Amino acid sequence: MSGASARPLLIDCARQQVRVIGALVIREMHTRFGRRRLGYLWVFLEPLLLGAMIALIHGSHGRFSGETMRATFEFFAIGYILFFKFRGIINRATTTIVANRGLLYHRQVTLPDLFYARHIIESVACTGVLVIFVIAAVALGGAVPDSPMQMIWALGLMLLLSQGIALMVGAVTTEWEGLERLVHAFSYVMLPFCGVFFMVEWLPAWMQEIVLWIPTVHIFELLREGQFGDRVKATYDLGYLAGWILVPHLLGLAGLRLARQRIGLE
Amino acid sequence: MLELLGVEKSYPLLAGRKHVLRGVNATFRRGERVGVLGRNGSGKSTLVRILGGVEAPTHGTVRRSMSVSWPIGMAAGFQPALSGSDNARFIARIYDRPVKETVEFVESFAELGEYLRMPVNTYSSGMRSRLGLAISLAVEFDCFLVDEALAVGDTKFGRAFGARLQRAGLILVTHQPSLVRQLCTRAAVLDQGTLTFYEDIDEALATYNSL
Repeated sequence: MSGASARPLLIDCARQQVRVIGALVIREMHTRFGRRRLGYLWVFLEPLLLGAMIALIHGSHGRFSGETMRATFEFFAIGYILFFKFRGIINRATTTIVANRGLLYHRQVTLPDLFYARHIIESVACTGVLVIFVIAAVALGGAVPDSPMQMIWALGLMLLLSQGIALMVGAVTTEWEGLERLVHAFSYVMLPFCGVFFMVEWLPAWMQEIVLWIPTVHIFELLREGQFGDRVKATYDLGYLAGWILVPHLLGLAGLRLARQRIGLE
Repeated sequence: MLELLGVEKSYPLLAGRKHVLRGVNATFRRGERVGVLGRNGSGKSTLVRILGGVEAPTHGTVRRSMSVSWPIGMAAGFQPALSGSDNARFIARIYDRPVKETVEFVESFAELGEYLRMPVNTYSSGMRSRLGLAISLAVEFDCFLVDEALAVGDTKFGRAFGARLQRAGLILVTHQPSLVRQLCTRAAVLDQGTLTFYEDIDEALATYNSL
């Protein structure tokens, strides 16, 4: 809004933004999962099914014992939730603005709010599934995670990393819709390299240097350290990750600011 | 009060820019009912979006010291896949109004019957504008910003809407002179990117008809 004569207080703006994001979360849940109560379960079931499938495929390759099954479940299924979150947030970013265009007629609804609302849903879902998976692993005889807080921390960093990229993707999509195909292809190609299938220490030195350029690898290392403690040797650099979070956030927010003025409402 | 000071708006074209508004100055006071007349393509919708704070002007200033509704029109402000009542709930939440009362008001006012629980994309244009107007009335703005497609007239809804408006301000942007005569106390004509006010409605209508 340009030059309102009575400038609203910062706290009122914050309250308004919380209200808008809350309303958007409820709205998004309705359109995505329908109005039936059972629909809400789907957000938990989808990652659960996908994660369990990967665990089964990996388990069936090795000796088919309960022990290897549980170990693969612990490593791959739980790790896969973070990839699911990354992919979900970034893939959806291409449709976020188009799907909500009508709501932009309300001046308090800002473009970043549309993204934050979706990311909250994705985060709550993935955190819920992660907790269920961890409890399931313990129930099946696995060890209690070394540091649950560190696993939550990894989830939070994955949210921030994906969010920055999603804001950028959203801003670019308003100018160039072809990006959608690229983003989808990219998020699938990322799967083998993102860190879900390996620990850095398992790789030869020359490969380690390469994969450590990939920001998601650092998050998976952090997750695994929280999950397995001293049983793994984790390699990560939070400073490097912070750069990958801050720079895309700045570029994305600036891009959305410019986009708001350009997008036609009809 | 809602003020426009030297507002200009232009959009990029393949070559150069299209100048839609070329320096609009206007003051809308609280409780005033103003009709803005403009031919198709004269920049009416652009003006409404700038008044509503949905779009920023290229140059100039907008000052808003009363609550102004969103631009109420056919599709504006709705999520088409959601039902009318879900849309009402969403709007109540973002404007910090009680959700239940808002839906009840819309139910009694918009005359949508069963359709209130159906997706908005199944509505006729008249139903959409009734929904939009009913929700905005429930939020109780100081000034209602209405863009075309106003299905009032001498219906039960039209009379109820008119009665409500006696207590609130209105900026109605339209190409239908009859609506301005019916609802407004002051009129302006938008032409060639400038807005000219007339204290006398007949004078505004005569100017508009000669365009």
